[in-house]
Amino acid sequence: MIEMFKEWYDARHEYAKEWKEKTGGKVLGYFCTYVPEEILLAADVLPVRILGSHEPQDVTEPHIFGMFCPFCRDCLAQGLKGRYDYLDGIMIAQSCLHIRQAYTSWEMHIPVPFSYYLPMPNHVQSPRALPYLKAELETFKKAVEEWTGKTITDEDLDRGIEIMNRNRRLLRDAYDTRKAADPPMSGLEAMYMAVSSQMIDKTEHSDVVEESLKELQTRKLETPTGERLIIIGSEDDDTTFIDMVENCGSTIVVDDHCTGSRYFWNQVESNGEDRLQAIAQRYIDRPRCPTKDWEERSRIPHIMNLAKDWNVSGAILLQQKFCDPHELDIPIIRKTLEESGIPTLFLELDVTVPVGQFQTRVEAFLEMLMEEDLF
Amino acid sequence: MATEDSEYWRWKEYNWKDPEMDWKDAEFITAGVDVGSVSSQAVITLDSKLFAYSNMRTGSNSPDSARNAMNWALEDTGLDLEKIQYVVGTGYGRVNVPFADRAITEIACHGRGANYMYGPTVRTVLDMGGQDCKAIRTDEKGKVTAFLMNDKCAAGTGRGMEVFADLLGIHIEKVGEESFKVEKEPPAVSSTCVVFAKSEATGLLRAGWPKNKVLAAYCSAMAHRVVTLLERLGVEKEFAITGGIAKNSGVVKRIEKELGLTALDVNLDTQIAGALGGALFAEALAKKAQKQG
Repeated sequence: MIEMFKEWYDARHEYAKEWKEKTGGKVLGYFCTYVPEEILLAADVLPVRILGSHEPQDVTEPHIFGMFCPFCRDCLAQGLKGRYDYLDGIMIAQSCLHIRQAYTSWEMHIPVPFSYYLPMPNHVQSPRALPYLKAELETFKKAVEEWTGKTITDEDLDRGIEIMNRNRRLLRDAYDTRKAADPPMSGLEAMYMAVSSQMIDKTEHSDVVEESLKELQTRKLETPTGERLIIIGSEDDDTTFIDMVENCGSTIVVDDHCTGSRYFWNQVESNGEDRLQAIAQRYIDRPRCPTKDWEERSRIPHIMNLAKDWNVSGAILLQQKFCDPHELDIPIIRKTLEESGIPTLFLELDVTVPVGQFQTRVEAFLEMLMEEDLF
Repeated sequence: MATEDSEYWRWKEYNWKDPEMDWKDAEFITAGVDVGSVSSQAVITLDSKLFAYSNMRTGSNSPDSARNAMNWALEDTGLDLEKIQYVVGTGYGRVNVPFADRAITEIACHGRGANYMYGPTVRTVLDMGGQDCKAIRTDEKGKVTAFLMNDKCAAGTGRGMEVFADLLGIHIEKVGEESFKVEKEPPAVSSTCVVFAKSEATGLLRAGWPKNKVLAAYCSAMAHRVVTLLERLGVEKEFAITGGIAKNSGVVKRIEKELGLTALDVNLDTQIAGALGGALFAEALAKKAQKQG
């Protein structure tokens, strides 16, 4: 069952096209995980996250600065190359300027019937963030209703919330299996599982996660677990890199990435009354992206808990090159982890990674962690 | 056709053995082979003591470079490869050493090798290699406790220095002393990127700068670049430099000046640190293998 996630990930475009044909529904591409998918699901829209393809490209040069992060350029390249030509709409929730540039450039050069900018507040720690976001979600809901021609009822919202929450619960359960001394799934498999949930019909995805959980109960990996690592940072679906790290004698057991745990960590706690408020609360409370984690640095205790609960011996900090928000968090994260006896390795991702050079660093890092006595 | 005289980048290749030592007395004969991006070394140790080594340019084929370096180190020792109990491959081509029993990164090997060469007081090692540089912190045994490596490009590395030697027509082994033949230390060139620095240097030469002054400016830039790497890691005494650039006083003295710290001196070839560390790890692994029967 677990192989399904990679298949979905690899054939994401074919999947979306087939879904459209089968259901006659609308597909919306989104740029950031602060997009409230509950409202889109309530309107029977399929939200798919726009991600890059990790291939060198030369189409974004006229549209986006070279010193903007490789991820935002890679995303825009997919649009310019026509790989997302099936989209009926695009949207973004405010996170960082780089990805917003990709969104606005997409809007300008690859017109779609519906495009929406959701001004998700950055200062989520303010008590004013909740009423503000709730009001924005009301406006957004109306816009979706106008676009789809469908009125979103409370029952629809309840359904949207439950579909999302079920997926989140199941992914948390899958991550929990990795706490075992010998995790039944690799970090690469977990990455495929989590990131594919951002491109596949949620219910269909949840069903497969549910099945996989049964399989995981008795599953054993062929390779020894080795060093247990956490990966921390920005968007990361660099499967080549993850595979290399795990082939050097380690297993990635948990992560703090928006393509991973940050995406599904917490639920909408709805009391069946003010649904939009409950949704807004969820996005304000979720494990934060560094664009929103100020001035209290709530990411730090969260990361420390992950490191402790999943019993890691080392951390790899991975971020997109030129990602200033993540870069700002690096010193404090490193300091805190290292003071707790968890060594760190910091690496910057580009559209493609220099695997040879990175491998030397990763191997040296693992040699440092290993207890083997060669002295 | 370029003659050897005009190949200013070309440094001397050589091999060496300790005439006082006899491998027949040794219990453990092990070796390390460091196939770097620019140079390759093979080191043979007898019971944790340096016995023989070679140092040569890496060719286009890593397995051949490994074999050539090993054969040259074995030359006139009376030893052959079969008698070597354990071989560790290291360096950029570490997985392409056909006769290696194990591959270990050059970061771990340089830490271990520097500990042997400079003694157990070494805490910070700067390995200035052909195409990258690494700042390494080690404990008293030579085990790595932290490290940083430069980014993708070859700025401020041995290869960059070779390009500059060629551009200025100053032999690579003379770069150090020549770079101090200036009336006043010039400001560093603004970039250590080999390509940018080369065009900047061409501009300075055209503006009438003597070549020694240009060289001084490049050495300063290179020193500054590695000092920032060291400072990011944190420098703890004692401090030592390994790799080819450790032989270049033009860079070393400028690093020392900027750090306010003197690098340890050694009467051994600084380029063999990686292979030497590899040979010492090989001995530990050979002992372990013997114990396990």
